[in-house]
Amino acid sequence: MKQFLSLYGDRMIRAVYTHFIYVIISISIAFVIAVLLGILLSRIPAWATVVIPLLSVFQTIPGIVFIGILFLYMGMIPATAVIALSIYAIFPILKNTYVGIIEVQPQYKEAARGCGMSPLQTLLRVEIPSALPSIISGLRISTVYTVSWAVLTAMIGLGGLGELIYAGVSSNNNALIFAGAIPAALMAIFFSWLIDLLRKRLIPKSLRRDGK
Amino acid sequence: MICFKNVSKSYGDSLILNNLSFEIEKGEFTVLIGPSGCGKTTTLKTINRLIEPDKGKIYVDGKDISQIDRIKLRRTIGYVIQQIGLFPNMTVEQNICVVPKLLKYNKEEMSEIVHTMLELVNMPYDEYAHKYPSELSGGQQQRIGVLRALAASPPIVLMDEPFGALDPMTRTILQDEVRRLQRKLNKTIVFVTHDMDEALSMADKIIFMNEGDILQIATPDEMLENPADELISNFMGKRSKNSEIPSLTAEDFLRTDVCTTYVSRGIRESIDKMARRKVDTLLVKNADEIYVGTLSISKIKKEGKDHKTIEPLVNPHHTVCYIDEDAPVCLDRLLNGNDSYLVVLNRDDTIAGLITKTSMARALADAVWGDSL
Repeated sequence: MKQFLSLYGDRMIRAVYTHFIYVIISISIAFVIAVLLGILLSRIPAWATVVIPLLSVFQTIPGIVFIGILFLYMGMIPATAVIALSIYAIFPILKNTYVGIIEVQPQYKEAARGCGMSPLQTLLRVEIPSALPSIISGLRISTVYTVSWAVLTAMIGLGGLGELIYAGVSSNNNALIFAGAIPAALMAIFFSWLIDLLRKRLIPKSLRRDGK
Repeated sequence: MICFKNVSKSYGDSLILNNLSFEIEKGEFTVLIGPSGCGKTTTLKTINRLIEPDKGKIYVDGKDISQIDRIKLRRTIGYVIQQIGLFPNMTVEQNICVVPKLLKYNKEEMSEIVHTMLELVNMPYDEYAHKYPSELSGGQQQRIGVLRALAASPPIVLMDEPFGALDPMTRTILQDEVRRLQRKLNKTIVFVTHDMDEALSMADKIIFMNEGDILQIATPDEMLENPADELISNFMGKRSKNSEIPSLTAEDFLRTDVCTTYVSRGIRESIDKMARRKVDTLLVKNADEIYVGTLSISKIKKEGKDHKTIEPLVNPHHTVCYIDEDAPVCLDRLLNGNDSYLVVLNRDDTIAGLITKTSMARALADAVWGDSL
């Protein structure tokens, strides 16, 4: 173990750091785009019936194919990884934002209108807060997926925990595979925990479905 | 205060409001009533411009509301809906302050409003202000719904079947509360319902609608006396004025399935009888069938060991009435006396039966609503 760490310790720390940065940046970009797009679609539900199925078909393209294609056009730069990861992370958040807002019960919107809220005030004070549980659960799905998708960035030589895994697979070194896989799993758990914390901060108990 | 002039509205081919003209005075409690689809809710919603009429004008305080910005207009008119619609992401305090916040009141003003509002409905601030709607009962939620509508002191409050989803008991309590608040704060209230009892008990003026037309505008008394249309009399059912409650006597409330025993009988035998008939009291008479008193199981439990016959345990002071006494007298004795039932005697002091609260309520219901119950 000691020997292993002295041999690969630096590489592991670097890989964890790179992986972490990819996830954070991609998720941040994806979150902003997805929420804005989700709100936009909720204003024009007619578009949503076209856009959402289209995106969900796109989501079925294997990540490895998409990253490969993007790599051909953009080359081996971090932006390639970030763009690919962001695009994949958008869909769950977008869909949950849209559904969350659309499913706000009509009586709340009617009450908001009757109280004299403008459409924007209704959105900000009633619809988004009511949709927040759904938005955050979309964020959780996206984040956990992105942690695992980010493994693929190593395939195009952009580092991250995937690097250790690929190296381990090609040199038949199980310890190296674990050195990549275990931190990736821990990272997914960490993000999940972080989002849970955020959920508890942002959403009043009464709106949390499990009441925790 | 509110004035409709030739207001019409249709969706496609169906006419929802047919050339309506009427006026609502300041401080008046007006109820819009009628069968489903009669246009009462549509009428209500044209007042705060949730629905725009196709033709005609609506004036509030002499001003044509189509010329007022609809969002500003709504902030000056309270609005309560049947589904309550308290915002689930806001506390009671935040819900009450929705409109004051939109009108940019400052913090002190809002805090004062919440305190006075909660006081109006006897919900202590410390206990309720920071609760979320889902932590309240339906009745409490709708109280807050009403307070939210009143918070920015609008002169007019619109209520769209506000108590329709509540159980009958809570509904009655809230009806009284709203009526009290309306008088106290001198609000002009327009109230939609399809429940004639609610309309009769709350309204200063009832507007009866059907298929987009107004059939009658009248006070509850006038409407009871002279319904303008057969539909209205059907709606009022048996409640019309000429069917007064007939004069009732104790006999009408009587339960005759009573358990009696003789004063000379043994204690064990009496306990047996109570157990068999599943009662906790027996009516006791002497050998001449004359009533002497009641015997309760608790008395036997306490002192039963010391005696052989039940005679010393009989309570001769139980509340009684005679079979031909008037209902109000009996009711008064039943409600204000110490006993949970009355023993009813014939004029020769033999036992006729008893009156319990249940038998009383049933007989009264029969008298008011007929034998259908």
